[in-house]
Amino acid sequence: MSKTAFVQLLDLAAGLVLVISFAALWLRRLATVARMIAVQGLALAAVAAVIGIYEHESELVGVAVLVGILRAGVLPGLIRRAVRAGDELREVESIINVPASLLAASALTLVSYATTRDVVALSPAPQVRAIPLGIAVVLIGMLMIVTRRKAVLQMMAVLMIDNGIALVMFLGTSGVPLAIELGIASDVLLAVFILQVLTNRIRTKFGGTDLDQLRALRD
Amino acid sequence: MVGVALGIAAIAATLAMAAGCVLPERARVVWVGILTAASATAGGVAGIAVLAGSARFTANYPDLLPLGGIRIEFDALSAIFTVAAALVAVPASIYGIGYGLHGPSSRPVQVAYPLLVWSLMMVPAAGNVTGLVVLWELMAISSLILVLAEHQHNPEARTAAQWYAVVTHLSLLAIVVALLILAHGAGGESFAAMRSGAGRLGPGVTSVVFLLALLGFGAKAGVVPVHVWLPRAHPEAPSHVSALMSGAMVKLGIYGVVRVGWDLLGGGPGWWGAVVLIVGLASAMFGILHALLASDLKRLLAYSTTENVGLIFIGIGAAGLFASTGNRPLAAVALAAALLHVINHAAFKGLLFLGAGSIHSATGTRDLDSLGGLARRMPVTAATFAVGALAIAALPPLNGFVSEWLLLQSLVHSLPSKAVAVAVAMPVAVAVVALVGGLVAATFVKAFGTAFLAMPRSVEAEQAHESPRTMQIGLVALAGMCVALALAPTVLAEPLRRATVAVAGLSSGRPIHTNGVYLQLSGIQAGLSPLLLATGLGVMMVVALAVVRRRRVHHTVRDIPAWGCGRTLQTARMEYTATSFAEPLQRVFDDVLHPEIDVDVDHRTESRHYIEAIRYRRQTRDAFEQRLYLPLLGVVRRAGDAARRVQNGSIHRYLTFSLITLIVVLIAAR
Amino acid sequence: MSLTGTAVALLQVVLTIAAAPFLVGVMRLIRARLEGRVGPPIVQPWRDLRKLLGKDRMVSDNTGWVFSIAPLVLLASATLVAGIVPFLSTKSALDQVGDLFAVVYLLLLGTVFLSLAGLDAGTAFGGMGSSRAMTITAIAEPTVLVAIFALSVSTGSSNLGSIVAATLAHPATAASPESLLAFAALAVVTIAETGRIPVDNPNTHLELTMIHEAMVLEYSGPDLALIELAAHLRLVVFLGLLSNLFVPWGIATTAQPLQLLGAAVAVAVKIVVLAAVIAIVEVFMAKVRLFRVPELLAASFVLAFLAVTASFFLA
Repeated sequence: MSKTAFVQLLDLAAGLVLVISFAALWLRRLATVARMIAVQGLALAAVAAVIGIYEHESELVGVAVLVGILRAGVLPGLIRRAVRAGDELREVESIINVPASLLAASALTLVSYATTRDVVALSPAPQVRAIPLGIAVVLIGMLMIVTRRKAVLQMMAVLMIDNGIALVMFLGTSGVPLAIELGIASDVLLAVFILQVLTNRIRTKFGGTDLDQLRALRD
Repeated sequence: MVGVALGIAAIAATLAMAAGCVLPERARVVWVGILTAASATAGGVAGIAVLAGSARFTANYPDLLPLGGIRIEFDALSAIFTVAAALVAVPASIYGIGYGLHGPSSRPVQVAYPLLVWSLMMVPAAGNVTGLVVLWELMAISSLILVLAEHQHNPEARTAAQWYAVVTHLSLLAIVVALLILAHGAGGESFAAMRSGAGRLGPGVTSVVFLLALLGFGAKAGVVPVHVWLPRAHPEAPSHVSALMSGAMVKLGIYGVVRVGWDLLGGGPGWWGAVVLIVGLASAMFGILHALLASDLKRLLAYSTTENVGLIFIGIGAAGLFASTGNRPLAAVALAAALLHVINHAAFKGLLFLGAGSIHSATGTRDLDSLGGLARRMPVTAATFAVGALAIAALPPLNGFVSEWLLLQSLVHSLPSKAVAVAVAMPVAVAVVALVGGLVAATFVKAFGTAFLAMPRSVEAEQAHESPRTMQIGLVALAGMCVALALAPTVLAEPLRRATVAVAGLSSGRPIHTNGVYLQLSGIQAGLSPLLLATGLGVMMVVALAVVRRRRVHHTVRDIPAWGCGRTLQTARMEYTATSFAEPLQRVFDDVLHPEIDVDVDHRTESRHYIEAIRYRRQTRDAFEQRLYLPLLGVVRRAGDAARRVQNGSIHRYLTFSLITLIVVLIAAR
Repeated sequence: MSLTGTAVALLQVVLTIAAAPFLVGVMRLIRARLEGRVGPPIVQPWRDLRKLLGKDRMVSDNTGWVFSIAPLVLLASATLVAGIVPFLSTKSALDQVGDLFAVVYLLLLGTVFLSLAGLDAGTAFGGMGSSRAMTITAIAEPTVLVAIFALSVSTGSSNLGSIVAATLAHPATAASPESLLAFAALAVVTIAETGRIPVDNPNTHLELTMIHEAMVLEYSGPDLALIELAAHLRLVVFLGLLSNLFVPWGIATTAQPLQLLGAAVAVAVKIVVLAAVIAIVEVFMAKVRLFRVPELLAASFVLAFLAVTASFFLA
C-alpha cells in the first residue's frame, strides 16, 4: 500500500467514525441509532485493519477482525435486544433539540482539535494527526449521555465513548497488544450487561426508562 | 484646502444654528436645512481631499479651552468616518426641510441638528483628549435633544431618552478614564504624544485601557451587551436624525475602538482581536434575530444597525487576530472590509431610515402589520427603499455585497493557520456571517414586502401619498450613492489603502488592487467586478424581456383578481403580515429568543363552539434588558432607597455630614 | 476579458438554456417509469414553455412593478451564473467577474425577488410560499458558505476556475474527507434550494404543502414561462456546480472547439447521472414536515463544518 493511499484510507475510515457519531445524534429512531453504532464499530475495525496492513502487523489485523465482530456484531446485538424489549416509544427523546445538539457536537469537535494541538505536533505520522477525531467521538458520546433521556441511549453512548477511546488507542500507539484490547472489550461487555440489567430493573419497577423521572426518587 | 473646507464647515454650521435661533418657523426649517447641507458638503470635501492624497491636516488651538486646548489631526482614518457622516448628512439635511415643514420644527430641534451634524464630522478630527471629549459631549447632548424632539405626543421618547442619556454618559466615563490613564502613562494628552509614549505603559495597563475604551466606544456603537439604548432611542428620533444616528453616530464608536486600540496603543495581544470578534459575532446574531421579529419598521432598522456594527466589529476583530499572528496583508484586507462597510452602511441605512420617515409621515404609523400597498401610492419612496433593502441584504450588484465579499474573503483565506484561535474562530465566524446574511435577506424581504407590496392593511396606508419633493431628493441622492458605491468600488481602493495605513497596529501595504473594473486582493487569488456583474444582469434582463415581447402575439395584458382558492373578494385581512412572515423563522430560533405569545379567543355568547375573534400577539423581549439591566436597575434602586434613610430632613445632620467630609478630606490630603 | 473567453461564456449560457428543460424532462420520465407510468416525452418541458410564451399576460390587479420584473431578475441571475460556473472550460471570461461567493449571492438575489413577487399579489398562499422560501434559504446559507470555505482552504482560492484547476492538478484531493463532506453538504443544499423532495415537492399543487409553487401561483403566460425556465436553469446550475467542483474531469483547459465539445458531453453525462440519482431517490422518499427541514439543514451544516475542520485536522 502506498503512503498516499494509506493516508487517504486512514483519514476516510477515521473520519467515518466521527461522522457516524453525528449521525447518531441526528437520527430519531432508536433502532437506526443502534445500527449506526454497529457501523461505527465496522469503521473502527477498518482503521485498525488499514494500519495493520500498512505496517505489516498481522496481530493488528487480527485485532481488527476481533473488533469488527465484537463492536459491530455482539455489543450492538445486545443493545438491539434492549431496544426491542422496551415497549415504550421507540423514538429518541432529548433534553435539547436536534439542531442544538448537532451544533454542540460541532463545538466539541473544535474543542478536541484545539486541545490536542500539542499532542499532534509531537509526531508527523498521519495516524497521530487523526487523534482529535477520536477525542471528538469521546466528547460527543458524553454529550449524548448528558442530553438523552432513555437508558437504552445511554448504553449506546457508552459504546460510542468506548469506540472513541479505541480509535485514539489505535491511532496513538500504532498497534495494541491483543491482550489489552481483549481486556478492554470485556470491560465494556460487562458494562453493557450491567446497564442492561439495570435498565430492565428500572423498566419493571417504573414502566419506562426515562431517566428524568428518576429525580423523583430523591425525596 | 483641507483646512479651508473644515473652516467653511464650521462657519456654515454656526450660521445654521443662528438661523435656527432667530428665523421664523418656516424660514428656519429651510435655512437650517440648506446651511447644514452646505456644512456637511464642506466637511465631506475635506475628507475626500485627504482620502484622495492631500497631506493630513493638523492644527492646534491651545487657547480655545482650558486644560489642553483643542488639537485637530485629520488623517485618512478620520476622513473615512467624516466622509461617512457627510454622506448621510447632506441628503438627510435636505430631507429634513420637507420633514420639518410637516413635523418637528421647534427652536431647540433646529439648533441641535446642525450642531449634531458638525460634531459628527469633527469627532474623528479631534487630535487630543480634551478635544475628543468636548466634541463627543456636544454630539451626545445634541443628539439627546433630538431624541426628545417629539416627546410631547410620544411618551415612548421620554423613556428612550432616559436610557440613552444614562448609557451615553456612563460610556463617556469609561472613555475618559481610558484616555486619562493612557495620557498619564504616555506623558501627553495629544494623540501624537500618546502614540509615541504608549510603549511606556505596561501590558496590563494597556489591556485595561483597551477594555475600558472598548466598553465606552462599544456602547456608542451599540454592540451587545451595551446596545440596549439603541433600539429604543433610534426609532424615537425624527427620521433624518435616526438616519444620522444609525448611519454616522454609531460609526464613531467603531472609530474610537480602532483609533485607541490599534493606532494609539499600536495593537496588542491576540485576545484583543478575539474579544472584538466575539462581540461582533454576538451583536450580529442578536441584532438580526431581533430585527427579524420586529414589526415596528424603525425598531427593525435600529436592530439591524446593531447587526451591521457587529459585522464591522467582526472585520476589525479578525484584523486584530491576523495582525497578532503576523499575517499583516490579510489584516489589511479585513480592516479595509470593515471600513468599506462603514461607508456602505452609512449610505444604505441612512436611506432606509429616511424611507421609514417618509412612510411615517405619510401614514402616521411605523407598524408593518398595518401598512401595505405603498408601492403604488409612494413610487419614489418604494423604489429607493427597495435599493436600500437589496443593498443591506448584500445582494449583488449593490454596495453591501462588495463589503460583505471583502469580509468573507479575508475570513476564508485565514486558513491554513498555525494559530489555534484563528483556526477555531474562522469557521464559526464564516458560519455566523452566512447565517446573518440569510436572515438579513429574510428580514428585508419582510420589511419591503409588507410595507410596500400587496394591499393596504389600514385606512392610513390606503390614503398615503408621496412625500414632498425635498424628501424625495434626499432619498434619491442616497439611493444614487448606494448604486455608485456598488459600481465603482475600485475608485475606493486607493483611499482605503491610505486609511488602513493610518492604523499602524493593523496594516501594511495595499489591501485592494484594481485594474480598472476588477477588484483584486493582495495575496488572495480572487476577483470580483461589480460593474461587469451589473452589466451582465442588465443585459440578460433586456434579452429576456425582448424574447418575451417578441413571442407575445396578442400584446394584451389582462387585469384579473388574484386567485383566492375558489373564493372571491380577497381582502387585506387574508394577506401575510410581517408577524406571520417571520413565524417560521421564529419557530426555528424559538429556543434562543423565547418570544412571548398570547392568543386570545373570544367565543360567541350563544355557543362556545362559535368563535367571535382571535387575537394573536407576539412580543420578543430583549434578553439582556431582562436578565442584566433590569436586575441591575433594581439593585441601584434598592441602594437608593437605603440611602434615603440617611436623609431625614434634619439640617443638623446634613451639616454634620459636611463636617465629617471636610475632616476626611483633610486627613486624606495630608 | 479575452474574446475567446467571452465566446466560451456565451456558448455555456446558450447550451445550458437549451439543455435545462430537457434535463427536467429526463427527470420526469425517470420518475414516471419507476412509478409505472408511461410519462411525458423528454421535450415536454420545452413544449410547455413555447405554449406559455404564446399566451396572454394575466396580471392580478393588486400587483405592481416588483411582480413584473421579478421573473426577469430571476432568469437574469440564473443565466449570469450559468455563464460564470465553469461547465465547459476553465478559461471562461467571466471567471474573474465573480467567484463562488458571487454565485451564491446572485442565486440569492433571484430567490429574494421571487419571494417579493409572492408577497406582491397579496394572497395568503403567496405570502406563505415567500415566508417558507426565505426561511429555508436563510438557514441553508451557512452550509453553502462554510462548504465554500472548506473548498477554498484546500485549494487556496474561492475562484471557481482555480478550484477546478487545483482538483485537476491533484486528483487525490477529490476523495479526501473534506471534499467528500463538502460534497454531501452541498448536495443537501442543492435539494433544498431547487425545491426537490424531501424539502419541497415540485409536483404538488396542494396549497398547504407548496413552497415554490405557492410563490408563483399568480404567474401565467410568458411570465410563468420565464420563471419555469429559470427554475430549470437553477437546477442545471446547481447540479453542474456540484459535479464540476468535485469531479471536474473532462473539462477543457483551453478553448479549442474539439475539447469544448468533449467537455460539453462530459458535463452533460455528469449532470444527467446526478439528476437520475435525485429522481430515483425522490420516488422512494416522502416530503418531510416543514419544521423538520431545519434539522436536515442543520445536519448539512454540520457536514460542511466538519469539512472545514477536516481540512485542518488532517492537513
